[in-house]
Amino acid sequence: MTWLWIVIAIVVVLLLVVVYLFNKVVRLRNEVNTGWSNIDVQLKRRNDLIPNLVETVKGYAAHERGVFEAVTNARAAMARASSPAEAGAADRLLGQALGRLFAVAEAYPDLKASQNFLQLQSELTDTEDKISAARRYYNATVLAYNNAIQTFPTLLFAGMFGFAAREFFAADEGDRAPVDVSFQPSA
Amino acid sequence: MTLQQQIRANRWKTLLVVVSFAVLIVVFAAASAVFVGRAGAIGLLAFGAAYGLFAWWNAGRLVGGLTHAQPLEKRDDPELYRLIENVSIAAGLPATPPIYLIDDPAPNAFAAGSRPSSIYVGVTSGLRKLMPERELEAVLAHEISHIRNKDVRLMTLAAVLVGVIAIISDFAFRMAFFGGRGGGRDRNPLQLIAAIVAILLAPLAAVLLQMALSRRREYLADASAAAILNDPEAMALALRRLQLDTSEVQYADRATAHLFIESPTRAVRGSGAFLAGLFQTHPSLQARIEVLQEAGGFELPALPPGAPED
Repeated sequence: MTWLWIVIAIVVVLLLVVVYLFNKVVRLRNEVNTGWSNIDVQLKRRNDLIPNLVETVKGYAAHERGVFEAVTNARAAMARASSPAEAGAADRLLGQALGRLFAVAEAYPDLKASQNFLQLQSELTDTEDKISAARRYYNATVLAYNNAIQTFPTLLFAGMFGFAAREFFAADEGDRAPVDVSFQPSA
Repeated sequence: MTLQQQIRANRWKTLLVVVSFAVLIVVFAAASAVFVGRAGAIGLLAFGAAYGLFAWWNAGRLVGGLTHAQPLEKRDDPELYRLIENVSIAAGLPATPPIYLIDDPAPNAFAAGSRPSSIYVGVTSGLRKLMPERELEAVLAHEISHIRNKDVRLMTLAAVLVGVIAIISDFAFRMAFFGGRGGGRDRNPLQLIAAIVAILLAPLAAVLLQMALSRRREYLADASAAAILNDPEAMALALRRLQLDTSEVQYADRATAHLFIESPTRAVRGSGAFLAGLFQTHPSLQARIEVLQEAGGFELPALPPGAPED
């Protein structure tokens, strides 16, 4: 009789542990989803800015066709991207294309002085900064989530419940390498 | 210890502190019953609870009034708002808190408020002028970390509870010694002495608790800010700049000191002696910089000779 109770107790404790771990992983996965939607908001905002920017530059430099095409293609690739890794690759292309567009703009003083262009340029810079901020948060949540499902004991049931590892959103080359911040307060 | 572990440990400490406060208040009420009778003690507790709720609900406005902080619109300083928006996104906050400006040449910043809708970040005009963008962003990240790590909520709670204990203690004394139905004459003198000691010590213990809490949280907020920006050096550089500046914030005192990024007044900064250490709301800037240097694997140039260390 005592043995039966001990077995029941062990089973109950194990179940509680699994419930706790399950909830933890779900919470981490939700954070990853929130992180991704934060990036998505900024990517959409940038996508909406680009046609205006292209039109404005066209008004002054209509013959620079190659540049406009590169930007339009990269923007389309961005819209097609279905995973964080693809979006990261498209993001790099778009960044290069926009870089060329701004390099072209340098050659047209009237364009550079245009209020509309300056406004778009500063909004685009702001969006780029926000994408990079959102990426830092997203990648941190992915790291926490992946670590949780790939370590013992969560590892044992992660596959069973369909928890799959998530992709990072690739960083620009210009980004600083991640640092591991650990510390020991001395007070 | 990693950041995540530290946040987890912090949650336990938070619980511990809240429980300690609860015990402190109950012991305190029991002690005051010796002087003011049971009905008086219950009355005091009820009054304290009402006062505490009012202070909690209006905490943001009270701090704003004490520090003379004025709300800053986005169009007044789009650059500053751009920085705080980016930092909030990188920290994963659901919304960007508004900024309040304090017209004071001493560089400092704080976060205040209790309910999510009432939380804001206060920045002195001195900080805005003194700091380059990279360091300003680090200071904002430090304050945003306080908000995300729920430090602001806890510190406000601690401040409110300290206030409740202080005001109850004040009333208990008045009721016991000026009129009131003080039934102390036929009590055991030992009991009386214990009650007096409890009433004297409770506010002191409360303040010490609040400060110990505040100090630990500064290290955590520095480390969080470094992680949010992926740039521990920016945080250390900002602290170094504060270290080299010796001006004091005009409208800051012990009531609001624990909110700021560095101790706002000389009196609160104190010296490094043990007793003064107990009463400091912040660890020394030097200690904070050293922790960041160790974590980030870099080294700032040495301080010029004669510069203050804290």
